[in-house]
Amino acid sequence: MISNDTALMAHLLRRAGFGANRDELESYLEIGYDGAVEALLNPSDPGNMPDDLIRRYHVDQSELRDLPGSSAYWMYRMISTSCPMEEKIALFWHGLFATGYSKLNQARSQLNQVEMFRRSGLGSFEDLLVELSKDPAMIVWLDNNENHGASINENYGRELLELFSMGIGNYSEDDIKGCARAFTGWTLGNAEYMSVRAAKDSIWPYGRIAWHFDYREEDHDDGEKTFLGETGRFNGEDIIAIIVKQEATARFVATRLFQFFAADEITEAGEKTIEAMMATYFSSGYQIRDMLRTLFHSDYFKSEEARFARVKGPVEMVVGAIRMAGNYQDPYLGIEGVANTMFYMGQGLLRPPTVEGWHEGAEWIDSGALVERVNFVAKELSNVSSPGVRSIIERLEAGADQGVLQPSELADGCLDLLGPIQVSEETRSVLVEYASRHGDLDLNGHQPGDQAEQRVGDILRLVAATREYQLA
Amino acid sequence: MSTQTKSSEIVLDYVKTIGIVNNGYNGRGFANPYDIAVGGDGRIFVLNRCDPLRASAIRVGICNLEDEYLGEFGRGFGAGDEQFAWPVAMVLDSRYRLHITDEHNHRVTTYDTSGDASGNASAKYLSHWGKPGTGDGELNGPAGIAVDSSDNLFVVDQHNSRVQKFTSDGKFIANWGSFGGGDGQFNLPWGAAVDKDDNVYIADWRNNRIQKFTNDGEFLAAFGNSGEGEGQFQRPTSVAVDPEGFIYVADWGNERVQVLGPDGSFQMILRGEATVSKWAEAYFDSNPEEKAERDISNLKPELPAHLNTPYHISSQTEPYFWGPVSVSLDREGRLYVAETNRHRFQVYQKR
Repeated sequence: MISNDTALMAHLLRRAGFGANRDELESYLEIGYDGAVEALLNPSDPGNMPDDLIRRYHVDQSELRDLPGSSAYWMYRMISTSCPMEEKIALFWHGLFATGYSKLNQARSQLNQVEMFRRSGLGSFEDLLVELSKDPAMIVWLDNNENHGASINENYGRELLELFSMGIGNYSEDDIKGCARAFTGWTLGNAEYMSVRAAKDSIWPYGRIAWHFDYREEDHDDGEKTFLGETGRFNGEDIIAIIVKQEATARFVATRLFQFFAADEITEAGEKTIEAMMATYFSSGYQIRDMLRTLFHSDYFKSEEARFARVKGPVEMVVGAIRMAGNYQDPYLGIEGVANTMFYMGQGLLRPPTVEGWHEGAEWIDSGALVERVNFVAKELSNVSSPGVRSIIERLEAGADQGVLQPSELADGCLDLLGPIQVSEETRSVLVEYASRHGDLDLNGHQPGDQAEQRVGDILRLVAATREYQLA
Repeated sequence: MSTQTKSSEIVLDYVKTIGIVNNGYNGRGFANPYDIAVGGDGRIFVLNRCDPLRASAIRVGICNLEDEYLGEFGRGFGAGDEQFAWPVAMVLDSRYRLHITDEHNHRVTTYDTSGDASGNASAKYLSHWGKPGTGDGELNGPAGIAVDSSDNLFVVDQHNSRVQKFTSDGKFIANWGSFGGGDGQFNLPWGAAVDKDDNVYIADWRNNRIQKFTNDGEFLAAFGNSGEGEGQFQRPTSVAVDPEGFIYVADWGNERVQVLGPDGSFQMILRGEATVSKWAEAYFDSNPEEKAERDISNLKPELPAHLNTPYHISSQTEPYFWGPVSVSLDREGRLYVAETNRHRFQVYQKR
């Protein structure tokens, strides 16, 4: 019997993390739901695979010149961290403030941006927007290095308002111009040389040179500007201070957080939760952490309605399966190929398709992506030599009556230990029927990789193919 | 750029930079160089570890101090003859046999390079030896390799936390070491060197120190500890010892090279001062618009505080070492520093 506490904690860890194996789940249950929310929202030492080990064995992840190794580098962090919320919030901002390798040709600087999301992604939205505006990858991505005092480029100013804060319909074309003028002079060091290199994808003579922010006062338009009804000699920070005061911004941020951490679709109850998050946004001084605390403690989030109300994104899918199987905890020759599977499913780290990021929800799944998803997870979870799968087998044996599981117990046990995952009666009956083909499962005296263990792996493989496993 | 103590007994002058990133599968340039061996005839062998995108071209390149690219050998990624997966280090013995370790294939591959300096024809594959395991002579992640005056080989058996001594044909002689932080113990050791008296030095990578042993493995001394100060190390990868006993250490995690005296006393730090190589000049001759922008750039910028780590500084400061993975010496008192992330090596001359 799955307790509500266990199911709720698993729900929280699917949203604020990448799901949890039973050992992790039990450690969070020990500190209770409130304690778990605080632990997740206040990351400490992530204990992830250390950089020195990664750099020693993976020269590509030391240099971070190309995309495959660079996305694998982030994936290592996701699969080995004990602070999953830190990676989840970085992934959230990476999708919202999407910057892509295709234009930048500069993975090191993109990963510096990801690190900034870890550092500031749960803090003040105002501070985050300032950091974002100073982020060299974003500056090049949206051409702010071409935004000069004498000749403005509106690209960043426009997207800051439309895609990153308020949403279309809440500002005028004049506001965009005022915004762009305020960010003139916000560029990157050696901007001209770095621009040439980025445009040519030049790695010569000695590999890439990473980027840093530079403010060119002589290129900044210090004149008077009018923005959202306020007038002054605004610089970028002043513009952001005005943006974050807007109700439209509160709604934008709350809605995007809700859809990433709670549900793809917004119901009436969901709308009330968004309004509560908006209230927290203002009362807390724009703190993302406080908004998420409001969400995770809301009746809506804890309700059955919010469970399995999101389609897992490819990154969640892949990282969740790897963490469950307990694989790739040490540097692994070929890890970049593993990271590439996320791209084949439609979500390559560091390569969102456009500035709008990925289209999420049901759009994650088409026939090709579904095959990739099922095949990858099935392969991870059916490998009975994987430490996480071995742990599942041991737990099944420990819970069995004299080491023997009836087919329904085998199916229910696997669903429980992989989540718990709630499935329809129809899905469950298929699993039970499959488990019944070879009768009861006797785990007494089982040996690594023997037929008894492989029967567990087969059920886990089948669960990976269910509709319900696609949901978080 | 270098710093040294007032009492330093050693002076190193920067000579030149050789290299350019090689984005392809052969020809002039390097792809993530991991080690250098310099022959008495002036040939410089550069081990290209290669990232996964270019693994099919894992190879040893040959050049000389006159910037001539002489050729290459090796047959790329794999476990067959002349193939490598994760090659780490190499050493030339007195008969010009080049021994190359591979930490993934758990073996050592030997070439005969005794031919003249005409390029490919000068390297003839001889054999590979070693097999995975923990028994005497078996290997688990062979990393650094060094040779003594009798042509015995010392292979750093990293995951077995030991050093193994072999004949130059790969016959087991002895081994020593265990996992730990005490004298004679190791934590993921990497580089190796032998001095003129045949003492053995090991870069005890995760213990952040250099250990010195007799030729038979008796512990003599340990130099350094963890940190960024003078005489401290962050993950030292490689060590070399010159005829006067000065100890050169690739202080990889600190993105620098340190030189110690024969007694282990701190002497100097090199941070790197790369210039445009001959091969890079040829690139800029063909790309003048890039050169024009480069010429007005500051390649030693001041960085924001959150990027103030050796790794980040090196990632943005092209003249500095970035990934200085190996230090090698020639008979003329020159120091060669291979930089994995910059696809080049910098040369210094001892006065």
